[in-house]
Amino acid sequence: MTARSGEIVVSHLTKQYKQLRAVDDLSFTVQPGRVTGFLGPNGAGKTTTLRMMLGLVTPSSGNALFGGVAYKDLDEPIKHVGALLEASGAHKGRTGRNHLRVIATAAGLPASAADEALARVGLTPAAKRKFKGYSLGMKQRLGIAAALLGNPQVLILDEPANGLDPEGIRWMRDLLKALAVQGRTVLVSSHLLAEMQQLADDVVIIAAGKLIRQGPVGEVLGSMGGGAVVRVRTPRPADLAAALTAATGHVTTLPDEALSVTGLDPARIGHIAFTSGIELHELTGEKADLEQVFLQLTAGKADIR
Amino acid sequence: MKLLRAELLKIWTTSTWWVFGIVTLVLWALTTGINWLTASATLDVDTTGMDAETAEQVRVAGEAVNVATNLYTSGQFFGVLMVMLLTAILSTSEYFHQTATTTFLLTPRRETVVLAKLGAGVVFGLLFWVITTVLNLIVTPLILSSLDVGAQLGEGAVWRAILLNGLAYGIWAILGVGAGILIRSQLAATITLSLIYVIGFLGAAIIFQLIGDRFGDWFQNLQVLIPGLASQLMVSGTELPGNPPRWVGAAVLIVYALVAGIVGTIITKKRDIT
Ligand SMILES: Nc1ncnc2c1ncn2[C@@H]1O[C@H](COP(=O)(O)OP(=O)(O)O)[C@@H](O)[C@H]1O
Ligand SMILES: [Mg+2]
Repeated sequence: MTARSGEIVVSHLTKQYKQLRAVDDLSFTVQPGRVTGFLGPNGAGKTTTLRMMLGLVTPSSGNALFGGVAYKDLDEPIKHVGALLEASGAHKGRTGRNHLRVIATAAGLPASAADEALARVGLTPAAKRKFKGYSLGMKQRLGIAAALLGNPQVLILDEPANGLDPEGIRWMRDLLKALAVQGRTVLVSSHLLAEMQQLADDVVIIAAGKLIRQGPVGEVLGSMGGGAVVRVRTPRPADLAAALTAATGHVTTLPDEALSVTGLDPARIGHIAFTSGIELHELTGEKADLEQVFLQLTAGKADIR
Repeated sequence: MKLLRAELLKIWTTSTWWVFGIVTLVLWALTTGINWLTASATLDVDTTGMDAETAEQVRVAGEAVNVATNLYTSGQFFGVLMVMLLTAILSTSEYFHQTATTTFLLTPRRETVVLAKLGAGVVFGLLFWVITTVLNLIVTPLILSSLDVGAQLGEGAVWRAILLNGLAYGIWAILGVGAGILIRSQLAATITLSLIYVIGFLGAAIIFQLIGDRFGDWFQNLQVLIPGLASQLMVSGTELPGNPPRWVGAAVLIVYALVAGIVGTIITKKRDIT
């Protein structure tokens, strides 16, 4: 069957492993023409969800439809859905070009498609080198080339920024944005909130296999306290914590006695400390790590797993 | 067809096939050398046996056919082992190199992937058969003439043995694909299959030699259930007294291959690819 649109509809997807419900009655939709960030801390069930959507892992219940059709029922699926998943490697002894030629052959595409895909990700100079000699960044690029090979309407990427240098991350971000602008559906998972703030139009946030929130990125992050985390060290942590909490900040104490604050920016925290007469030894705005935000969002609601 | 071409391309684009090819050629040369010595020994004994008359001459002629078939199918013992290992790697490398994800994204109907692998495996099995057979067809007449025996290529039994040898290569290729699915680890699969093949063959031969006589003919005939012995039986020249007919050897191997293929397909369909 052929998909009727680029929309993805995930309905009540559940995966029960022996002791663990990795994905728990998860439903969300993904729209074409937008980049959708699929967010959750490590172990939240992102990879399991994506693999179920793509027919690699059998769901305990629920399903995922691409334009109304399950992945397994798509004719020539890679011409509609391109995917880059974790642990999707290539044979170490095969060249990058031959890796793509195998995929092109299986999909009934001409060998020239492999060369075009290589050029698209800037790997042409390494086309005849073996996969084992590729850097992590080159491996990711080859994975992207494979995902784009069939010129798909829908792209699904699992933590594509893992192991990329800042240059590589920017390249990936620009590419994904460009693909969305062309009207394609782009679903990209990550455990780093900061990464998504600059890339995603929509976000789907999960924790412990359950949906936490879904919507346009600005709306959702606003409701999560802006997402930024500030690290503060002071000789009087208890007093500062009380002052910040009074100013609607959210404070947790880190193992090294420093405070981790969300909901307030560094300038505001500095001001509060100054007016309370509390000495500061460190005041650092940190990259928002979704995992930290989650720890704070779920503090008090422990036992999420 | 697209998938079969892709599977063949997978084999061609790595070094595995020619490494196994070279190993096979070396082992073929060794086996052929040994067969040569055996042949000359066998034939010598027979030709120097002057005590009998016509009956004995007929027996010698029969012997020559059998010696010839042995030489024309030379290299089978290690050849099919190499083919089995090569085709097992066709399956195991998908997990070893984490290409299973890509493969099953391309083809969510996994049974067709298994079929394509079986097809590619058989193609390679037959390729190994063709190459060793061509070598045997070149070398064997030379060996035979050095032993003052004719080339025997007029004998139906010789050609039948050569064809059945091809069948054996094809079946072992299928066995390999199935075994590679059952034993997912590349190293474990390679070691286990080699050990089972060699030790199973020698062990079974010894056991049947030692205790077989106590149970009588029916027990001796069970030898054919050992895959390695079954494929040897297939290529024996004429019916050898006290052995099951050749087709039994083929049937046994086909049953093994079917079981391996079907079980492999079912497992592949059910397995979560993570
Ligand atoms: N094959 C498996 N068997 C048992 N548990 C698993 C399996 N795969 C994943 N899990 C568990 O399911 C949970 C979700 O994993 P995963 O989907 O990889 O999370 P994420 O990609 O969000 O980090 C984790 O706790 C993980 O340990
Ligand atoms: Mg993951």
